[in-house]
Amino acid sequence: MTDYWLSKMCYDLQRPGAGAEYRADREKVLARYPLSPEVLVAIRADDVAALAPRVNAYLLRFYFGAAGMTDDLFVEKLHAMQKDIAGKELGHG
Amino acid sequence: MAEFVGAFASSHAPLIARDWEKLPAASREILTADFTELGRRLAATRADVLIELSADHWTNFFLDNLPNVCIGVGAQHDGPPEPFMKDFQRSIPGDAAFAQHLAKTALDEDFEPSISHHLALDHGFCIPLAKMALPRLPRIVPVVVNNLEPPMPSIKRCLAWGKLLARAIASYPEKIRVAILASGGLSHSIGEPTMGAIDERFDRDCIRAFEQGAEAPLVELLDARMEAAGNGTHEVRNWVIAHAAASSRGFDLIDYRVMPEVYVGCGWASWQI
Repeated sequence: MTDYWLSKMCYDLQRPGAGAEYRADREKVLARYPLSPEVLVAIRADDVAALAPRVNAYLLRFYFGAAGMTDDLFVEKLHAMQKDIAGKELGHG
Repeated sequence: MAEFVGAFASSHAPLIARDWEKLPAASREILTADFTELGRRLAATRADVLIELSADHWTNFFLDNLPNVCIGVGAQHDGPPEPFMKDFQRSIPGDAAFAQHLAKTALDEDFEPSISHHLALDHGFCIPLAKMALPRLPRIVPVVVNNLEPPMPSIKRCLAWGKLLARAIASYPEKIRVAILASGGLSHSIGEPTMGAIDERFDRDCIRAFEQGAEAPLVELLDARMEAAGNGTHEVRNWVIAHAAASSRGFDLIDYRVMPEVYVGCGWASWQI
């Protein structure tokens, strides 16, 4: 289910200078949005799997880029999700 | 009367621009050759106006207001905002009169596009324009198609949009030459658990369907398999619009390459008009 305010924050981070501001002081930026406790926990933990179902995949990628995560690590975390999904499917099979 | 002079398709993977210098030399050679050939074919049409179909990658629109089809009616458009596209021109000439004619034709025929007087054209629009290195850029009439956030236009509706574009060109009273460029696709997966996956089998089946032309098998294929081929694959909708604009008579593939180094199954093509 799309989380509007999480999406809005990811979208706003595209503005010039916004990514640098976020990397310098995450909490200051997070305070501008009425984010749910669950989303805040996931953001603070860089939890790709917890955030992925709540935001458009392109915005998710943009967010983690703006937050300073490398493409390689982001892809690694996504692929770990894929393994979890595959494992669960096998488990139910 | 305006003349419809060509329809084209091109992938637009952002890493083609962002990571150009880091790409293997062989990849750069392939990309340069394919974009150059596409540019040669487009330049040969001597198009005055290029209707360009692309996704908007969260550049102009957000969840507050997300059009499924938006026609850029501005006399000028802003260049791409992405830092990795900073070398492309900052202002891109449009054609307000033709774009308004397109919007009015659509509304008169019971289509409901939104219009924008001021769009920024992101990498989706500008990578093909930059890489084709055209001697003269036609006036760009951008048509943003929602390829990004569900719900999106059906494949059947994309075919209808293509036919509408052809009618709008034919009914424009000015003697101008108009081409269409569909930007995006083929298969790719971005920000999903399958990120980086390229579905070559889907891509080749898709190309075969475009080559053969018939609409029903194309719709059947895309409705059945596009969703599973990755979220970026939704951009094939733009190819469908160009296909129908060109009367669904089949296209000539310039090249198709599985390019994991840019995360995209890359294709370039021109339609028989």
